[in-house]
Amino acid sequence: MLVTVERLTKTYGKFTAVQDVSFVVHAGEIAGLVGPNGAGKTTIIHMMLGLISPNAGSVRLFGKSLETDREQILQRLNFTSPYMAFPVRLTVLENLRVFAGIYNVRDPAAKINELLEQFGIGRLKKKPMSRLSSGEITRVGLCKAFLNDPELLLLDEPTAYLDPQAAVQVRAVLLDLQKSRGTTILYTSHNMHEVERMCDRILFLSKGSIIATGTPIEVTCSILNEDRSAPALEEVFIRIAGRTPDEAVSN
Amino acid sequence: MKLYRIRSVIRRHTYEVIHNANHITYMVYWPVVNILVWGFFTLYLRHGDALKPGVVSCLLGAVILWGLFNAFQRDMAVGFLEELWSRNLVSLFASPLSVSEYVTGLIVVTLAKAMVGLSVGALIAWLFYHYDMFLMLPMLLPFILNLVLFAVAMGIVVTGLIFRYTTKFQAMAWSFAGILMPLSCVFYPLSSLPSFLRPIASILPTTQSFEGMREVIESGGFSISHFRLGLGLNLIYFIFAIFFFRWMFEAARSRGLLVKME
Ligand SMILES: Nc1ncnc2c1ncn2[C@@H]1O[C@H](COP(=O)(O)OP(=O)(O)OP(=O)(O)O)[C@@H](O)[C@H]1O
Ligand SMILES: [Mg+2]
Repeated sequence: MLVTVERLTKTYGKFTAVQDVSFVVHAGEIAGLVGPNGAGKTTIIHMMLGLISPNAGSVRLFGKSLETDREQILQRLNFTSPYMAFPVRLTVLENLRVFAGIYNVRDPAAKINELLEQFGIGRLKKKPMSRLSSGEITRVGLCKAFLNDPELLLLDEPTAYLDPQAAVQVRAVLLDLQKSRGTTILYTSHNMHEVERMCDRILFLSKGSIIATGTPIEVTCSILNEDRSAPALEEVFIRIAGRTPDEAVSN
Repeated sequence: MKLYRIRSVIRRHTYEVIHNANHITYMVYWPVVNILVWGFFTLYLRHGDALKPGVVSCLLGAVILWGLFNAFQRDMAVGFLEELWSRNLVSLFASPLSVSEYVTGLIVVTLAKAMVGLSVGALIAWLFYHYDMFLMLPMLLPFILNLVLFAVAMGIVVTGLIFRYTTKFQAMAWSFAGILMPLSCVFYPLSSLPSFLRPIASILPTTQSFEGMREVIESGGFSISHFRLGLGLNLIYFIFAIFFFRWMFEAARSRGLLVKME
């Protein structure tokens, strides 16, 4: 098991952002973490990265815990987050050079050029970050995420700011990586069609708790409570939005 | 600690210095302005003849060394604030980079910047005010070392406070050293403080360094006791700073402040 999350809970004062969440991600699969705004997706990912400490529960990545093997674990994975940005005065190339150094990438110049081309921003190399559009910044973030050939990718809304063509490109890269290298991916998205197409399995989160897991079709059937032959996550989503977590879980 | 990661932090801050003119301002502007103002003041003082010998030299030496301490503490905190402003913390602290590697890299860059400031100040004092600091440098170096160590400890404390209180605390980055100044006996000897303040002042490594500096300048002798006491105090402050930082860092992590700036 590449990722094992057990009974993870996070509270801020009296507010519970994540409640008793457990799940696993198998090696080589693409798992989707989906749910309404404020459901706790980003909080879970940040706890997995050690950026936020949980009140209870544990996270094991590659069979290890961040408390004891932080450096080793983080060397083998990478991530994007809507809460990250880059120093704005540094150019695209400079920022990627810094992170290539941190991840100890061999032949950083070649790796960076390859990624810049892959994500279609080769011509922006010398531009300071402050002059980029949000979609371009997202692409730089993706380049950073692939620098160390990660075995595990945690991607928080990686396609949120991308135009349709770039989104297609990114999805193709992710699927290709999964096939060619067996990269494991956990990612969040509000684009339900994207999730249906990409994910082997989804974890449906609502108000801090997981209310359904399974393939997109399984989750659709279980939450809509009827037999379906095709996934309809958007419908599921709209159904969930009007419920309290207790109702949702009892269903 | 891995050297290549520390090097990457140095690289990151070097790029920042290259692109951001503010750093040049901090690095040379204040040392130059300070030494010019105080330098003219010493020219004025030299006209009178009631002055004890060495007062002028002590004044200029103090301006330069205090400048170093102040710049070091400030640049460390500002270097870190830059990560906060640019929301770079998420990428940094979810990478294999450790906090101690980060801080080490930051110290190296800050030290280089502070040395530029120190040299510029000393050069101007030598060229325009006939104050040759380089002559006494070998004897001053131990006290400079203690100033730098204390500045690092204070830099770590301020950085911890910024982690925990984020930008609400950012003004302190520029002014924290100022709190210590009245008690650090920069321009006057410890003996001129009211007696109830002396015990507090004497447990500051800055006070020990400036007392030592005055002894070097006035009598040409090196006071091993001021150095040793300063070093011992620094050790204590260092241990305190590291625990304090860990505490602030964990508090920030549990409140989600590494991710969301306030
Ligand atoms: N530092 C914090 N202090 C207090 N509450 C917080 C903090 N961070 C997040 N929250 C709350 O925790 C809940 C979960 O937030 P989170 O960012 O994980 O949601 P999300 O599922 O990623 O939503 P979105 O789809 O909008 O990105 C939200 O209600 C949010 O207001
Ligand atoms: Mg989110």
